[in-house]
Amino acid sequence: MARDLGELNREDFARYKDDVKKEGKPFFPRAIFHDTVMSFIVVCVITALAVIWYYDADGVKPGILGPWYTEPADPGTTDFVPRPDWYFYFLFYLLRIFKWPETVFIATVGIPTIGLMLLIGLPFYDRRRERRPLHRPVAMVAAVLTILSMAVLTWKGATAKEALGSELVTLVPKWAEEQGFADNPEAVKGAELFAQSGCLNCHTYMGQGAGNLGAPNLSEIGATNDASYFVQYLTNPAAFGNTVMGSYAYLGQENLAALGDFLAASKGTSSK
Amino acid sequence: MAAKSKKDLLVANAILAPLDWVDERTGAVRGTKWFLFRNVPRDVSWAQTLGSAALTAFIVQTLTGVILAMYYEPSSSIDPITGKPIAYSSIEAITNELTLGWLVRGMHRWGASVFIILLFLHMGRVFLFGAYKYPRELTWITGVFILATGMLLGFTGYLLPWDQTAYWATVVGINLNGTAPFAGPWLAQFLAGGPEIGSDALAKWYALHMLVLPGAIIGLIGVHIYLVTRLGVSSPPWSSEEAGRERPPVQTTGTRSGLVRGGGGGD
Repeated sequence: MARDLGELNREDFARYKDDVKKEGKPFFPRAIFHDTVMSFIVVCVITALAVIWYYDADGVKPGILGPWYTEPADPGTTDFVPRPDWYFYFLFYLLRIFKWPETVFIATVGIPTIGLMLLIGLPFYDRRRERRPLHRPVAMVAAVLTILSMAVLTWKGATAKEALGSELVTLVPKWAEEQGFADNPEAVKGAELFAQSGCLNCHTYMGQGAGNLGAPNLSEIGATNDASYFVQYLTNPAAFGNTVMGSYAYLGQENLAALGDFLAASKGTSSK
Repeated sequence: MAAKSKKDLLVANAILAPLDWVDERTGAVRGTKWFLFRNVPRDVSWAQTLGSAALTAFIVQTLTGVILAMYYEPSSSIDPITGKPIAYSSIEAITNELTLGWLVRGMHRWGASVFIILLFLHMGRVFLFGAYKYPRELTWITGVFILATGMLLGFTGYLLPWDQTAYWATVVGINLNGTAPFAGPWLAQFLAGGPEIGSDALAKWYALHMLVLPGAIIGLIGVHIYLVTRLGVSSPPWSSEEAGRERPPVQTTGTRSGLVRGGGGGD
């Protein structure tokens, strides 16, 4: 047992090369035949998906594989639920688990980076020569757990529901009454913009909203600052040390002023 | 017989001479032979076709991507004729007007998903077989980078149709980048290209999707395939015919002492 791992590894590989040379089969044409059949199937599957997608949908009207395209991008009316392609759903759902501001970076950067490091490092921390799955219980359990958690997160991400702005806007009268700004038309207009501009895709307000990316509950935000502060904040959140939230300057001064009035008027139901 | 073989020789020379000329300068013919006329383990089978299946999906992406690039316009300015963003209008035109444009776009769109699925299956197969172990560590690492680059390609491509789905997924994506420590906010600002995500951002994402990431992934795939060819494909570890299997003691000692000196370079 004096021989070290490197030496044993080299012996294994030397034996592998020897076996392949003596008893192996030629890559061309024997193995490449399998590859060609498989490649043909891949092209057929891709073509079939494209055909089903095209013939089942019509413009923005979705079929079973989704629409050809949705409406043109419009930064002004954010009545739209952001949704990445399916293979990012697991990440998308992680964000809902780590929703407190201090923990957002765990989901956005921490877990993906650790995952990538674990993948890259795999051949270096799993140095045993054993290759048979049944003799690698730790690796197999880790693999099954990884696949299960990715599958669950993808499934949860795929089925996660977020309210549409058009549904949220019907709640504005209720908010106005409970927060006591029903007699302030500017604040009501701001509330409607708030409901329609996708704010609740991240923030929560009066029990509505997603609570994504660590965005705070805004139900009592008006107790903290005045309207002009909120307008400045919306114009450039980065200036206030918030790098998660994008700028809403594109809404225009008039709309921002209404939003500011709405936020300032949202002092919470208790202090009405 | 003699006359015929002389004629054969002439024909052979006419074909082989240019090949020899190229081979002498590039080694291309020897390289192709090295790639094609090698042995693989006897028990290699369908499970080991997932890598070449992923390569096929990537080739589909390359071909359809080149065609799409000929008709797509990465601009978020409003087209005066359609009243919609130019990028969006060009996607509409590709889908509705260009002959078989829908098929090319559909294959590119769905090929991306198939490519990602095949990469994951291929990685799962390699993990199950323990094929990432000595001496294939670097093959595994280039594979991980191919997966990461493939996912980035998917993410940057998602924005290009410039529809609502694309736009808002990207806004979220850019904001996510912003949460990273140190480079995060800077990266987010670069990717957004200004306070409003518009033409500047679209041009940057297009350049990433069209030039930077494909260049990177093609390089990685090249290294990956070279390593696979150089090191060989591993047998299913449960196979009774596994290449490199342990032999009964008597034979093993004999084989080992001979091969270790020759192959490994000693200790």
